Amino acid sequence: MDIDEFFKRPTPLFILILLIVILIAKLLRLETTDYLITIMFFIGIAMALNIIMGFAGYVSFGHTVFLGISGYVFALLVYYNRDFANLMNMYSGIPIFFIALLAGGVSALVAFLVGIPVLKLKGAFFAIATIGLDFAALYIIKAFIPILNPEFFGAQIILPAYALAYKDNVFVAMYITFALIIIANYLIRRSRFGMGLLAISEDEDAAEALGVPTTKYKLISFALSAFFTGMLGAVFGLNSGGVDENLFNLAHTIDMIVMIVIGGIGTVMGPLVGSIIYFILYDTLLVTYPEFNLVILGFIVAVIVLFAPRGVVGILRGKQFMGKKLRDIIE
Amino acid sequence: MDEKEIIKIHNVTKRFGGLVALDKVTFNIYKGEILGIIGPNGAGKTTLFNCITGVYRPDDGKIFFNGLDITGKPPHRITQLGIVKTHQIVKPFNEFTVLENAMIGALFGRRAGKISKDEAREIALKNLELVGLIEKKDELASGLTLHEKKFLELARALSAEPEVILLDEALAGLNPKEVEESLDIVRMINKELGKTIVMVEHVMHAVMNVANRIVVLHFGKLLAEGSPKEVAEMPEVITAYLGDKDLALKFVKR
Ligand SMILES: Nc1ncnc2c1ncn2[C@@H]1O[C@H](COP(=O)(O)OP(=O)(O)OP(=O)(O)O)[C@@H](O)[C@H]1O
Ligand SMILES: [Mg+2]
Repeated sequence: MDIDEFFKRPTPLFILILLIVILIAKLLRLETTDYLITIMFFIGIAMALNIIMGFAGYVSFGHTVFLGISGYVFALLVYYNRDFANLMNMYSGIPIFFIALLAGGVSALVAFLVGIPVLKLKGAFFAIATIGLDFAALYIIKAFIPILNPEFFGAQIILPAYALAYKDNVFVAMYITFALIIIANYLIRRSRFGMGLLAISEDEDAAEALGVPTTKYKLISFALSAFFTGMLGAVFGLNSGGVDENLFNLAHTIDMIVMIVIGGIGTVMGPLVGSIIYFILYDTLLVTYPEFNLVILGFIVAVIVLFAPRGVVGILRGKQFMGKKLRDIIE
Repeated sequence: MDEKEIIKIHNVTKRFGGLVALDKVTFNIYKGEILGIIGPNGAGKTTLFNCITGVYRPDDGKIFFNGLDITGKPPHRITQLGIVKTHQIVKPFNEFTVLENAMIGALFGRRAGKISKDEAREIALKNLELVGLIEKKDELASGLTLHEKKFLELARALSAEPEVILLDEALAGLNPKEVEESLDIVRMINKELGKTIVMVEHVMHAVMNVANRIVVLHFGKLLAEGSPKEVAEMPEVITAYLGDKDLALKFVKR
């Protein structure tokens, strides 16, 4: 793709600008590193879920299970392996990224194996099955983690000081993970694989009848989605200095789903814009109305969904802009 | 039309619980022909298509395509081998444009993985032109009329570049003028593109006119097989389905 073509499409441009803005905010210290890590985590989980929910149309309601699994795998690797722990503060955070890849891989494997039976279910049944997976994994963690080590009281793993990373290193690892996820979203959306996934979300039987290997595609997208979600769980766990059962909390999935829906399902720009709007709303409301921030947030979300079922980006799809259909530009 | 069989259906049985939807059905589909499949509601016509395209696995019997046993293969494999079906109840990808709908056929059809997006677009455009939907290529499929959605099904199927196209009641719900248009397209696809066509149809005069051969299904059994004229004169077909001999022959003559 030549450079002209690149800039004709606003999605890659938007991705590039977002990545540059975060970098500038970091370098000029416009926001705290913690804030930047958190916003990347929020946008990242929406974009990670987008691969299965936005593209293939499968609402994985228990998706936080992958934050949990990989968060725990990462924490255990660093807790028990002195070599890994030592790497936390070397090579400006690149090793953290690689260990997160490993932890994400475990989630991908779980998603793949669980996906074989569970992706045969449709709609609400699939959603409920994934909630079941989340609960099952949580119970296993709660039962076995404390047995592993008496220090893991209440299934909480607090990383020892020597295994903690400088914030800047966590930032770098999160930044690479984040960039990887949104670029992957963009590449998938434009690929034949992405078209196949969208066809599945429109009508799975018709897609299969036209030659789309639906079973394989669903499995790959579920595993990829779990992989990226897992990586975020790993880095975020490190940023929090450890992990606890809260990583499995379904409230995170609700955040992810809401971000995708208010932005616009089936697109890359949608969840990207949706998660930014959501995070900013969430953050400002939390500060200004700490008592009923969730009530207000819920109300705003309900209004958006009511008047724009296909999200903010969805409303723009049908509109014209400088003689071109916005749909062509946005996607 | 040469006498070489392209699909062999051998002793195929399909049950749904106690109901025998297909009962030891055996017949051949020949390369280059237009075969009509007729029979009353519930005779098993759609079920037969679903067995050929892999949506259902027959409980018994085998199906061969170009000599290859395709029984029980998943639908997408059968599509990629070269058999595509249009749906009795249309299934457009509503949020896709008309062009994108047809492109899916090209990208995942017989040349799946060996075709660029640009080539797929060319193929899709060609087939949209052929069915007369080219002007609507950039519209969302959800906005099409039923008649147009049926043509979109056809364009999508053609874009998969199949050898055999199975049309499940492609004419149902169309007005007489649209039926004639569709028949012209069917003949064209058969003659000029050399595709073998199997059509399930209730619009009797249409199928009797366009088909080279007819197969009659009745309660899951193969009741008769022959040229439209032969079939229209068979007493068992008349009692089971056509109702009246004179009427039946009128269908053929029209
Ligand atoms: N998935 C299914 N589960 C149970 N029964 C089915 C299923 N599909 C079809 N049947 C039954 O099998 C029989 C054959 O149905 P089929 O749809 O093949 O008929 P058809 O010849 O296509 O009829 P029509 O002309 O109404 O389309 C019917 O009695 C139908 O109710
Ligand atoms: Mg039928």
